[in-house]
Amino acid sequence: MGQISFMSLIELHNITKIYRVGSQKVVALKNLSLVFERGDFAVLAGPSGSGKTTALNMIGGLDRPTSGQVLVNDLDLGKANLKRLADFRLHNIGFIFQSYNLIPVLTAAENAEFTLMLQKTPRHQRRERVLSLFADLGISGLEDRLPKDLSGGQQQRVAIARAIAANPRVILADEPTANLDSNTAEDLLSLMRQLNNSHGTTFVFSSHDDKVIRRAKRIIRLEDGLMVSDNSQNL
Amino acid sequence: MEKVSLAWRNLWRNRRRTIITLAAISFSIMLVQAFHNLSFGVYESMVDSGVRAGSGHIAIYHTGYLNTRDETLSFPVASLPEVIEQIPGVVQALPRIYLPALAQTSRESRGVVLIGVEPKKERLTNPFLQNLSDQSMIRKSNSRDAIIGQRLLQELQIKPGQKFVVTAQHRDGSLHSELLRVRGIINTGMKDIDSSLILIGSQRAAMLSGHIGNVHELAIVLKSAWLDRQVFPEIAKRLVNHPNVEAVNWEQAMPNLANAIKLDYASQKFIFLIILLIVTIGVINTMLMSVMERMREFGVILALGSTPVKLGGLILLEALILGCIAALLGSFLGCLATWYLATVGIDLETFMPETLEFGGVVFDTVLRANWDIAWMAQIAIYVIGLTVFAALYPAVKAGRISPMEGMRHT
Ligand SMILES: Nc1ncnc2c1ncn2[C@@H]1O[C@H](COP(=O)(O)OP(=O)(O)O)[C@@H](O)[C@H]1O
Ligand SMILES: [Mg+2]
Repeated sequence: MGQISFMSLIELHNITKIYRVGSQKVVALKNLSLVFERGDFAVLAGPSGSGKTTALNMIGGLDRPTSGQVLVNDLDLGKANLKRLADFRLHNIGFIFQSYNLIPVLTAAENAEFTLMLQKTPRHQRRERVLSLFADLGISGLEDRLPKDLSGGQQQRVAIARAIAANPRVILADEPTANLDSNTAEDLLSLMRQLNNSHGTTFVFSSHDDKVIRRAKRIIRLEDGLMVSDNSQNL
Repeated sequence: MEKVSLAWRNLWRNRRRTIITLAAISFSIMLVQAFHNLSFGVYESMVDSGVRAGSGHIAIYHTGYLNTRDETLSFPVASLPEVIEQIPGVVQALPRIYLPALAQTSRESRGVVLIGVEPKKERLTNPFLQNLSDQSMIRKSNSRDAIIGQRLLQELQIKPGQKFVVTAQHRDGSLHSELLRVRGIINTGMKDIDSSLILIGSQRAAMLSGHIGNVHELAIVLKSAWLDRQVFPEIAKRLVNHPNVEAVNWEQAMPNLANAIKLDYASQKFIFLIILLIVTIGVINTMLMSVMERMREFGVILALGSTPVKLGGLILLEALILGCIAALLGSFLGCLATWYLATVGIDLETFMPETLEFGGVVFDTVLRANWDIAWMAQIAIYVIGLTVFAALYPAVKAGRISPMEGMRHT
């Protein structure tokens, strides 16, 4: 992994994804080709059903394309087995979900430590990391609360802590602000930008909210599984 | 360790369901342990009374006697009883002579079994003789005193103190008769025995039959039925200088009782099996429900980078913890129940006033449990294994979902 690579971080080549629902076929992505570089801060924009989640799932190795090739950090996800994919996600990808998806029986700190725990990081090291992350994210003092005792914004910050704790190369966030009020959403985006700037973490997120979309450095628009535009902007 | 903590917390997410499942498993363990211990105690007391009234835990015969009951097949005892009583674990070695005979009074005659015994020794062991008063006992081994079955007494139409005549075949082939006097009455509760049994002193029986110095049976009583495997070879060693003599254990000497116990225990095992099967189905159901409810969460855990094997392992760990708690709790309840059944017992007299006969042996109407700790532990461990086994399918199911499918669950 430490080798010098001439490849981009993420490459999607001619991805088509077809879901079968009973006898019907739903084409979720059509011939999508995309390249993401290190340090990207890109949004997949488009209305509901346009294929945003499907595209993120392809990059995260949560689902396999019907045809085409996905390369992330030199790994061909279509050829990797389940164990290899799980390992790939653990060491390369951080996920942030629309509905936070914290584990209800674990405290905020334990949730944030989860991937570090899977990586078998020693306990005191994990605690240290999580305490400093909580401080950075402005949720210090909430370490021992259960998710049900946290607000939506607090839960999403814990989810971010979980996603970045293990220093993944890529963070994938599927409509991370959809359940948050606009102020909280605003804060969250600033936070993501900050991480992107300070750590060079690559962000690929999805949204159908123009206020959110405007904040991305790169805007990729999808419609009915087709990419209709791919623009970069200076912020 | 964190995995254990996570599994533990998951287990208590649905407190009520877990408690109900725990209660069901624990209760089954208690039932199985308590009933086994009860049978264990009852069988032991049955074997004990069967053995004491019958041919002992181990018996020595002339080869072939057990199958033919041919009374010419007697063997010289010499000092064998004393030698055998030296073996650790042996309580007594009782010499006996069995003679088919005809009993006659002035009014009636009946075919009987005369048993020549050493009255003092026999009384120490035989529960029916222990119930007799001193005045009813045979005074000396060579006296004319006889202890006679209750029914036989009525059939012969005589009373205690009255005389009657028995006629048996002498060793030389001729018929010999002896005059006996009714001294005591024995009531075993078994019709066959009560209408045919006459106990007399061993010397009197030897004089009548000519088997001087010989016996048909040497009944050996042990401290406990479970010692027979240990004592048996010791006895066999001491028989090497006695040709044509064999030792058999109580299972061979009293096949009816042994078979009745085996059959009873087999049917009980079948019931245990069904109880455990029901428990397994219950655990499968609980674990499956708890897995189905958490599909979304499992999707997230897999997405974060846990492997299917690790996730399945978490489910199995939850089941293992459930099984361990149930095993401890169930065994505790099983101990309480056994303690009650061992000290108080179940008095069958209230249910059935008649004597209790099982496999040809009469036994106590109070059923009492006995501790079989090794077996209790074994059952507890089985149940832990079963619980984990029952979680296998749910665990595989959880591991099989794709993270995406899992997260689509709501
Ligand atoms: N697992 C699935 N099974 C069947 N159809 C699906 C599945 N996932 C997505 N789809 C369909 O694929 C299309 C794209 O869905 P999705 O990627 O979720 O869009 P978005 O995230 O932009 O709303 C939609 O028509 C959706 O109904
Ligand atoms: Mg979506």
